[in-house]
Amino acid sequence: MNVQFKKGVLNLCVLVLLDKQDRYGYELVQKISDQISISEGSVYPLLRRLTKEGYFTTYLQESTEGPPRKYYKLTDTGREYLHKQLDEWRNFTDGVNTLIEEGVQND
Amino acid sequence: MKKDEFQRDLRALLVRIPKEEQIEIMKDLEEYFENGKLDGKTEEQITASLDSPKNMAKELLVSYRLEKAEATATTGTIFRAVWAIIGLGFFNLIIVLGPFLCLVGVLLGGWTASVGFIAAPLLVLANIVIFPGIFEWFDIFASIAFCGIGLFVAIGMFTATKVLMNGFVRYLKFNTKLVKGGLTHVER
Repeated sequence: MNVQFKKGVLNLCVLVLLDKQDRYGYELVQKISDQISISEGSVYPLLRRLTKEGYFTTYLQESTEGPPRKYYKLTDTGREYLHKQLDEWRNFTDGVNTLIEEGVQND
Repeated sequence: MKKDEFQRDLRALLVRIPKEEQIEIMKDLEEYFENGKLDGKTEEQITASLDSPKNMAKELLVSYRLEKAEATATTGTIFRAVWAIIGLGFFNLIIVLGPFLCLVGVLLGGWTASVGFIAAPLLVLANIVIFPGIFEWFDIFASIAFCGIGLFVAIGMFTATKVLMNGFVRYLKFNTKLVKGGLTHVER
């Protein structure tokens, strides 16, 4: 997929993954890269930015198998932002899908 | 690339970011490696999936610079933010540099005009000193009027500068959210 495209999408992916539960960085990265090819290094700068903008808070939690993990939690502001982004995404994809279907029918 | 090497390279590239932030970034990275190893990955696999330290550092620098520019939008902070974003790639050069030069042009033009207007009486005085023969009262009055207009323009420019600079920072932020950076080398 077009590179320009992905960055905005990455934002949305991270927000959506944190909607239902808190997750730690590695987990987030793996979840996303299971579905789409991303540069895993670009997720951390993104997490930092969204945290600084007040969309996430972080906390440390011990894990059974390794070192303590930094968990990311969506704030109320973050949830609001997520829903706005999600609406925009749906509008956008609906529009593109309609165009694609029309295009396919004309062929 | 081994983990140590990756960390060393990244640390060297992050010198412009404050110490405490560097430490936090390195801590996050350490945790990432630990979790990757628990997942059964080798250090080489993990560093390969992370993209180069250079691209990671560029992204981090852009966020830092933007934060600075947002906190205090001065010519210096904005210029550094623009520079960092341009470093992300050619595409950014086009969408950032154009509007930036436009902004600089408008501000420079406005300020030059206001300074010129305000200085008008001085210029008339200089004229009198250099060519005493062609003195006209009209010149004096007109120049004082221009000086007044110039003061108003300067007041307007003061507000315009603030608004435009803050607006431009918002534009930069908006761009870095949408536009590429660090994702260049992952196309499958």
